Amino acid sequence: MELTACKELETKVIQENLCTLCGACTGMCPYFVAYKGRIVVRDTCTISRGRCHTFCPRLSVDFNDVHKAIFGTSYGWDGVGNVLEVYIARSSDKAIRSRGQYGGVVTALMSFALKGGFIDSAVLTRSQGDGLPEGALAATRKEMLLRAGSSYIAAPTIGAFNSAAQSGNKGKMGVVGTPCQVLALANMRAAPSDMQDNVKQLGLTIGLFCTWALSSEEFIRFLEKKAPLSAIKKVDIPPPPAHMFEIYTASGRISVPLDEIRRFIRPACTYCTDMTAEFADISVGAAEGIEGWNTVLVRSEKGAELLRKAKRKKVLEIDTMPAQNLEHLKEASLLKKKRGLKNIIQKTGNADDLLYLKADTKSVKEFLDG
Amino acid sequence: MAKREEKTLGIDADKPGKTVLLMGVEAIARGALEAGVGVATAYPGTPSSELIDRLSKVAKKFNMYVEWSINEKVALEIAGAASLSGVRAITAMKQNGLSVALDFLSGLTYTGINKGLVLMVGDDAGALSSSNEQDSRHIARMLDLPLLEPATYQEAKDMAKWAFELSEKFSTVCILRSTTRILHGRGNVTLGELPDTKHHPYFDTSKIYAPPMGRASTSHAALHKNLEEIRRFHDASPFNAYVGPDNPGLLVITSGTGWLYSMEALKILAAEKEAGILKLGTTWPLPRNLLRKYLVQANKILFVEEVDAFLEAGIRDFAADLVSGRTWRFFGKSTGHINPFGELNPHIVIRAIADLLDMTYRPRGSAYQKACDEIASRYVPPRDLQFCAGCPHRATYWSLKDALRLDGRDGVVTGDIGCYSMGQSPAGYSQMKTAHAMGSGVGLASGLGKLKQFGFRQPVLTVCGDSTFFHASIPALINSVHNESDFILLLLDNSGTAMTGFQPHPGIDRNAAGDPAPRVDAEKLCKALGVPVTIVDPYEVTQTRDAFLIILQGGKGPHVVICKRECALIRATKEGALFKVRVNPDKCLGEQCGCNRYCTRVFGCPGIRWDRDTKKAEIDEAVCNGCGVCVHVCPLSAIDREACP
Repeated sequence: MELTACKELETKVIQENLCTLCGACTGMCPYFVAYKGRIVVRDTCTISRGRCHTFCPRLSVDFNDVHKAIFGTSYGWDGVGNVLEVYIARSSDKAIRSRGQYGGVVTALMSFALKGGFIDSAVLTRSQGDGLPEGALAATRKEMLLRAGSSYIAAPTIGAFNSAAQSGNKGKMGVVGTPCQVLALANMRAAPSDMQDNVKQLGLTIGLFCTWALSSEEFIRFLEKKAPLSAIKKVDIPPPPAHMFEIYTASGRISVPLDEIRRFIRPACTYCTDMTAEFADISVGAAEGIEGWNTVLVRSEKGAELLRKAKRKKVLEIDTMPAQNLEHLKEASLLKKKRGLKNIIQKTGNADDLLYLKADTKSVKEFLDG
Repeated sequence: MAKREEKTLGIDADKPGKTVLLMGVEAIARGALEAGVGVATAYPGTPSSELIDRLSKVAKKFNMYVEWSINEKVALEIAGAASLSGVRAITAMKQNGLSVALDFLSGLTYTGINKGLVLMVGDDAGALSSSNEQDSRHIARMLDLPLLEPATYQEAKDMAKWAFELSEKFSTVCILRSTTRILHGRGNVTLGELPDTKHHPYFDTSKIYAPPMGRASTSHAALHKNLEEIRRFHDASPFNAYVGPDNPGLLVITSGTGWLYSMEALKILAAEKEAGILKLGTTWPLPRNLLRKYLVQANKILFVEEVDAFLEAGIRDFAADLVSGRTWRFFGKSTGHINPFGELNPHIVIRAIADLLDMTYRPRGSAYQKACDEIASRYVPPRDLQFCAGCPHRATYWSLKDALRLDGRDGVVTGDIGCYSMGQSPAGYSQMKTAHAMGSGVGLASGLGKLKQFGFRQPVLTVCGDSTFFHASIPALINSVHNESDFILLLLDNSGTAMTGFQPHPGIDRNAAGDPAPRVDAEKLCKALGVPVTIVDPYEVTQTRDAFLIILQGGKGPHVVICKRECALIRATKEGALFKVRVNPDKCLGEQCGCNRYCTRVFGCPGIRWDRDTKKAEIDEAVCNGCGVCVHVCPLSAIDREACP
């Protein structure tokens, strides 16, 4: 008997520890809700193929199909995904830089997209404060600044996009998300037309580089022991070889060895193959060895246009990326792909069964062997 | 049109010789009035509740004291006090209630009584409205008490009156046992005289009603002696009767409902000349001389009785010692001729008798049954038991389900007996995991809450109604305070004993007579025990869920949450609907992704119906009680409500 969408997500994703808490299944119906770092199935839905089922980035994804739908080309395992331009950049605005992560490019770009009419509001992740991180809608630059910076904690941000679209929020929305969240949005864009109600309002996707995210409830409890949550201004994991988790408070910096943090990594993240949010319009991360700057990968025409205008309006300071940096980024990206695939194969015990990845297993084998 | 000369006569009609239509349980109430009963008590329980309900309405007229007691044991104690002081008393209960009263009853058996004391027990054969099926007749046998079983409505009245005399004559409690079809059916009853009884209670302090210390076994011996005398009395009782030929080809021995079913069976089979029926009204101790007289005339014996093989076992046991020269063959529940559980019906009896007389009995075949079912299903689709529209229990279970799913630690909800027992079924989202006896949910929760030392991590909750709380939950709650158990008691306070017909209980400010009465405040009581109390309104589902979550994730030790909302039926009859509710069809998403009939399929209030043609939900105005909870449930805000004036 065919499982209902609801049961399938519950048994194959949630119970199998594949759920990334992206939030794509929430905000659309009463059945799925995010609560304290978990997706909870409140009641049983009997629909066999609902939107939850189609949007989930961990149930069944064919990268090739999605890539064709978004970029018009086939997916290649080798590299950092579809890239039109590569830069290092930082915000020209000191206020943004001080609040944002590294160069504050994400906040600066979203803020500019809002001002320049690319989007009418943005879905961001409220990162610091007393509670758990959660998706939130920002319609002004001020609201965006309040949500700048990373928390490294998994958050159901796409649920906030869904509920904003469902509840009649008008106009286009920009979304800032981790690779799994960006993949969920890509799934929406590649979905059949009768499931495109929400994604019609997606105006821009900015992806964040991500090696893994932390489990919220447990990690928050850990963090609380280090500093009062309300006092934490910013957290950071500087690029290797620092190997530290830095907590910035008004009274100074607390450094925690990264190995102490690792136990809070969501198990789902070990089965992820995407470090650079390959299905975004623009992907942004740290710039290795260049403090206060971001790496920027422009992936789509829309992303290129935004960046061009941002550059012209002097919203961003942009520079070329050192060739060595790009090599390192590719290495890191490939490392995550290989690690993710190996973990998947180890879980299934079968190189032909890649869990949620519906891929040409021959090319995957070649990639892993190569 | 001719004006009707008189209204329907009730149990209080002073018309000796007049024949009126009475329910079996009303006939018993009338019999008690004819016996000059002074005190009547009970805790409600189907099918026994109407005794007190009817007597409470005529209590003032007959200068009686009638009360709804906190539980069956106390009810028997109140009646017992009257008897010991020289006032005739009756108490009523269902089979489960007899278990509650048993402890006192077994003591009372030893000490004896003074004035007539009748214990009416209504056995819910088939457990139509009970958590179990239980044959109370075994209790009479176990405690050496006389047992009577009426077979007709007339007998119900006559036997009730006679039971008081028997009780007084042998200074013992008399058990009057019947089952649903007699107690809740109606039949003709010819009324007797109503005495003008003046009660003069006096407790004779020269007497001691306590078993002799260290010599209780001598009392037991005396009981057996008393029982032998009762047996001789039973042998001559007019409530036992034989109908049929001498030396019948088949002897049917029956009691209670089995009597009329057996008569009907013989008539339908035209077998009155071949088979005879011995109807017993005095079923413990067994009238052995009478039995011997008929047993020696037959070879084939069939027992027809409701619930257990009580007569069957007792009479076979007795027959083993009889020297008759006959080789009896006994049939009944042991041979599969009669159903060993559930209610009797004429079909079962006809089939058994036809088989034993080698007669052909052709009921309509299975095709007919199938056709009936098919036709019926067109009009009446199969449905689960449901809470009424607007029931606060549904709202409480909804919030509880949500809270436990969000909490995610597989919380366990124990429970017990009441409307809220439906919490075990889809009506209550299958949240309630145990139901045994009144109050046992709290006891089980108290026990589960102590398993932490073994690594038990599941949160523990229990549900208990307001009437059940007073009935038997308080000792378990006190136990949990003293022994530091950790659980949450949800006191589902709907202001009445709703399941059995809204009888008052100590938490209500009126008594059985409908007069004002002091109210015991459950909140103050719990607080006095040192238990923190939170009060929520179940209709506010979100606040209730959040309150549950906070207590689930915070508290230690027992915590009481009073979920306070009057039963929707009581409120609707008193005040009408709170809200006028309607579904906005433009907003209703129906079966589509994003809703999938959340209100009608998941929430399940019968006040909302699904229109298959328009594919929209709509309010069934004939059923909706206007609680307005569905407004909070609809994910699309497609349900609107407007406060009723």
